[in-house]
Parts: sequence; structure tokens; C-alpha cells
Amino acid sequence: MHLFSRIVRHLALVLILLMTLWAVLFFYAMMDEIRDEADDSLEHYSAVIISRVLAGRELPQLGDGSNNSYKLMPVSQEYAASHPHLAYHDENFLIADKGEEEPARVITTIFSDDAGQYYELKVATPTFEKNDLFESIAIWIVVLYVGLLLVVLAVIALVLYRNMHPLYALLDWLESYRPGCKPKPLPGETRIKEFRKLRMALQRAIERSELMLERQAQFIGDASHELQTPLAIIGNRIEWLMNSDSLTEEEATELYKIHQTLLRAVRLNKTLLLLTKIDNHQFPESTDVDIVQLIRDYIENYGEVFESRGVTFRVDLPEQYVVHMNESLAQTLVNNLIKNTYIHAPEQSVAHVELREGVMTISNEGVESLDAEHVFDRFYKASKKHTSTGLGLALVAAVCRLYDMPLEYGFEQGRHRFTVKF
Amino acid sequence: MKILIIEDDPSLREIMSRELKQEGYVVEVATTFVEADSTVAGYSYDCILLDIMLPDGNGLHLLEHIRNLGKRDNVIIVSARDSLEDKVYGLENGADDYLPKPFHTAELIARVRSVLRRGRTAGELELVLGNVTLRPDSRSVTVAGEPLTMLKKEFDILFYFMQRPHHMVDKSVLAEAVWGDYADESDNFQFLYAQIKNLRRKLSQAGATIELSAVYGFGYKLSEKES
Repeated sequence: MHLFSRIVRHLALVLILLMTLWAVLFFYAMMDEIRDEADDSLEHYSAVIISRVLAGRELPQLGDGSNNSYKLMPVSQEYAASHPHLAYHDENFLIADKGEEEPARVITTIFSDDAGQYYELKVATPTFEKNDLFESIAIWIVVLYVGLLLVVLAVIALVLYRNMHPLYALLDWLESYRPGCKPKPLPGETRIKEFRKLRMALQRAIERSELMLERQAQFIGDASHELQTPLAIIGNRIEWLMNSDSLTEEEATELYKIHQTLLRAVRLNKTLLLLTKIDNHQFPESTDVDIVQLIRDYIENYGEVFESRGVTFRVDLPEQYVVHMNESLAQTLVNNLIKNTYIHAPEQSVAHVELREGVMTISNEGVESLDAEHVFDRFYKASKKHTSTGLGLALVAAVCRLYDMPLEYGFEQGRHRFTVKF
Repeated sequence: MKILIIEDDPSLREIMSRELKQEGYVVEVATTFVEADSTVAGYSYDCILLDIMLPDGNGLHLLEHIRNLGKRDNVIIVSARDSLEDKVYGLENGADDYLPKPFHTAELIARVRSVLRRGRTAGELELVLGNVTLRPDSRSVTVAGEPLTMLKKEFDILFYFMQRPHHMVDKSVLAEAVWGDYADESDNFQFLYAQIKNLRRKLSQAGATIELSAVYGFGYKLSEKES
């Protein structure tokens, strides 16, 4: 989950709970206050009536436009004694203005006049007014709180987005970074201290890793380079010995085997040098290269060499396909893929090569998928073929990397498949 | 034929001079830039083998120096730096050939021979052994003056051997030279045997006085038939 949406979601959850609770509390407090106010006004009205009754003055007319109604009844002393003198309750009451019974809030007061006569006074105000009020308060609370919630969340989201922007810019950059390629300048210039520190740390880490990579490549290059002369000397001395007439067959055969091993070391060394040179971009000159011709040449050439394995190629190639790249690198690319197929395809099987719309696909039968993660790594060897250097596909990958050509390995329907997009 | 070897590595220098002496050349050596500089100024050589990475200077400067002196000595650049710039620069500035390290001594001798021959005839290069003549530029072979038609690989093999007569050539080296870098990764050398067989048959049918003989099952040698 995005950090951004996670923060917003959590805040939303907490805010919804808190604000709902707050809204409910507020609503009930409001209702209580309103009911209190209504009761107070009823009490005031009944006090007015009682004082008029006691003073013997004319009572207020019913139906004077206020919704209040009242009912005055003389009651017995026993009734008075057995009932509370002041009571509030809700009941249906005949509202004078409307002339019908309505649910109402009623205050009942029992009092006596100077003559000791007890009266019961009921003053009522219809509850629909209060309910109307509650209803509109409830609606407004909901509207306002939901609105508030949305506004708050929107503001939070906006602020987060604005402030997190450098982080996302750095992440995007980091994702696009490929070791060994010259990195683009770091984005995310900001005044936020943490992000500034992160950016600096990132910068330093990348610089360090670039330096390490460079040193490593340099080391491999230097080491292979330094090895060349001693290897050449050993080789030449062996060749010299092998040409000597005084050797016995046994000695000569032993020398031949040593020479074979040495040749392997020489090839390994040459390949490492080539890899280093590709990675160091030391193949600047490009020409127009016909890939189709290269494929045909190598199939023919290695077809002869690996004839004993009985691997044949089915080709699906256009007349020609010209690519602008370094010729010897194009050769390295095609050469290694074709040779690889001849060596690793099962005996007497049919391999397939096709070039369509700039995509070259080479496939051959196989038993199980190779490790797609590492198949292009240096010294990855799926089989224990002693003559293999384990660098062929690494070379292919290095060439593709240099020219930004997508290179893929897949295993489908029992076939290994290598794809290069020119 | 006088050859100067300018090489700082003592072991490599020894091998190069031993091989060349065996081929009948007169060999002199120089080990540093300064020594080489004074040597080339004072003497003339038929061929100079120049290592361009010398401890006290760049061999390419030495090449310029030789040309500035107006000398016509043949120069073969020998370099561990297999870089195109060096090669292009060297060839443009009057080097006759460029040989990257590591090399087979047979290769070295073949190059020296070819450079010297080119210097002499100034025409089309011809390799001659016995009654066989091979012209690499026109890719033609004649036996006792009669043209002999050959397939591409057969020609390449013969060309390789003609450049290093009387030298044993390891079959994996031959395979790599004719079929390319990875040929010796093959399980066997059937492809090579087949071509050698055809080549031998064609040579003997045409009455060539040279023969390809096997050496202990791992190599071949081209030599003149003993009559």
C-alpha cells in the first residue's frame, strides 16, 4: 500500500470515529438544551396562569396564536396529595389552535388558592415543533460534519502530496537507476531536512557504488591484461616444445593436454577483456550490419563444427535486416547465441531462429527452465560442459546492455527461448 | 634478413628471438625506449617488431621517429592493448602490420614472413612451398602451374599451413583459426578431420610435392615430401 494512501486512510478512519462521536454528543447536548428551554418556557407560562388564577384575573385566551394550550381543573385534596405538584410528561393533548389532539410536552402543576381549593393546571406545547428542530439540527450536523471531514481529509492529502513529492521523485529515480550506466542527475531538490538528508545519502551511496563498480571492472580489465603476456609466453614455450623432434609420443600428448588447458585459460581471459571493453564502451565505431547474413553465416559455420551433435536449424528470416551497430559486437551477439544453441540443444533436435519486425528469437528444446534471474550472469553454467567458459551469454547481455536492446530468456512448451529486440 | 625486437618482457623477448633465429633471421633486441631509439637511429633492419607499451615511453612515438628519420624498415606493432585506436594509428603512421598479444609464435613468424615478402615483391603476395603456390588475394592455388579448385574451408586450412610450413599446428588452434573463436568447444574434431582428408586427397591427386602429416593425433604439419 502506498504510504500516502495509508496515512490518508488511517487519518480518515480515526477522524470518522472521533467526529461521529463528537457529532452524536453534540446532538444530544443540543437536544437536551432545547428540551430544557421548552420546559422552562412551559413553566413560565404556567406560572403566568397560576398568578392570574390566584389574582382572580382573566385567563389568557386559548388559540391566541401561540401553540400553547392549557387546561385548568379543580381537584380534590386527596388527588392533590397523591400526585406530585410539578410534573413533566409527554402525552397527547388537545391543542386549542388546531382543535385536535397532538403529541405534546405537558407540565402539570397542582396548586391551591386562598380558599384551599386545589387546581390542577396542565400546560402543553406540541412536540412537533421540537421534533422539527431536532430533525433539522441532525441534518445540519451530518452535512456539516461530513463536509468538514472531507475538507480535512482533502487538505491532509494535499499537504502530504506536496511534501512527499521529493520522496516519490527520489524513488522514481532510484528505480530507473541501472548500475554501470551513467546516472541521471538526482531530482527532488527540497527544503525539507529529512528529504535533503535522504537525497544526500542516496547521492553518496550511488557514487560509492559507481566507484566500486568502476574499480571492479578496472580490476578485471587490468588483471586480464596483465595475464596476457605470461599466458602468451607459456603458450609459446609449449608450442616450441611440441615442435621439438626429440619428444616421445607420451610427452607430446601430455604437452598437448597442457596446451588445451592453457588455450581455455587464454580464451577465458580474452573474453573477460572483451566484456570489460564492452562495459567500458570501447566500441565506438558503428556501421550498417546485416544481422540476417550474420545469422546465416554462423549457422553454416557452426553447423559444420557441431555436426556430430546433429542439431539442425529451422530458419524464418527476411531477405536482410540491417542494424547500425559495431560490427564485431554484432558478431559477438549472434555468434554466442547460435553457438550456445548448438552446444546446449539436445542431440538430433531442431532449433529455430526467426527474425521478425526487429525481434530475433532463438529457441531449442530443453528439459527444464534455466534460472531466468541468473542465466545472463558471468560464469552461470547450467550444464557441466568442461569446455564452456560460462561467459557467452554474459557477453550477449553486455552487448544488449550497451545498445539498450531488450534481451529476454523464457521457457515455454519445453523450449528455451532467447529474444533480442534490435 | 635482420630483425630488431623491441620488447621489455625478457621471457617473451627470448622466445621471439629464439623462434626467429631458428627461422634463419639475424635477430637483435632492444629492451627500452631509449635503447631502441638509439638503435633504430644507427642501424637499418628488414623488420622491426615493436612493443608499443614500453616502460619508458610509447612505442608509437618510436614509430613516428623511425618514419621521421626517413627509414623504410618494415614495422610490426606488437601490443597487449588490443585497441582499435592503436591499430588504426599505427597502420596510418607507417606500421606494416599489427599483432595483438597473446599470439602464437607461428603467427608471429607468418606475419614477419609476409611483411618481408610484401616488402620485396611489392606485388601480389605469393606463398610457395614445393610445387604449390598460394595467392591469398585472389584465393587461388596452383600445383606445378595447374590451378587447383578448392572449397573455402580447404583453402583457409592450406593458407594457414602455408604461412607456417614445417610447424606443427595443434588441431584446436587450427579449428579456432579457420572456424572461429568457439570451434574448440565442439565435442570432437570430426569437422576438421573431414576437411583435412579432402585437402590431402586434392593435393595428392594434383601431384603436389607437399603433404599434411599428422603429429601424434593432435596436430598437423605441412612439409615438403622427401623425394
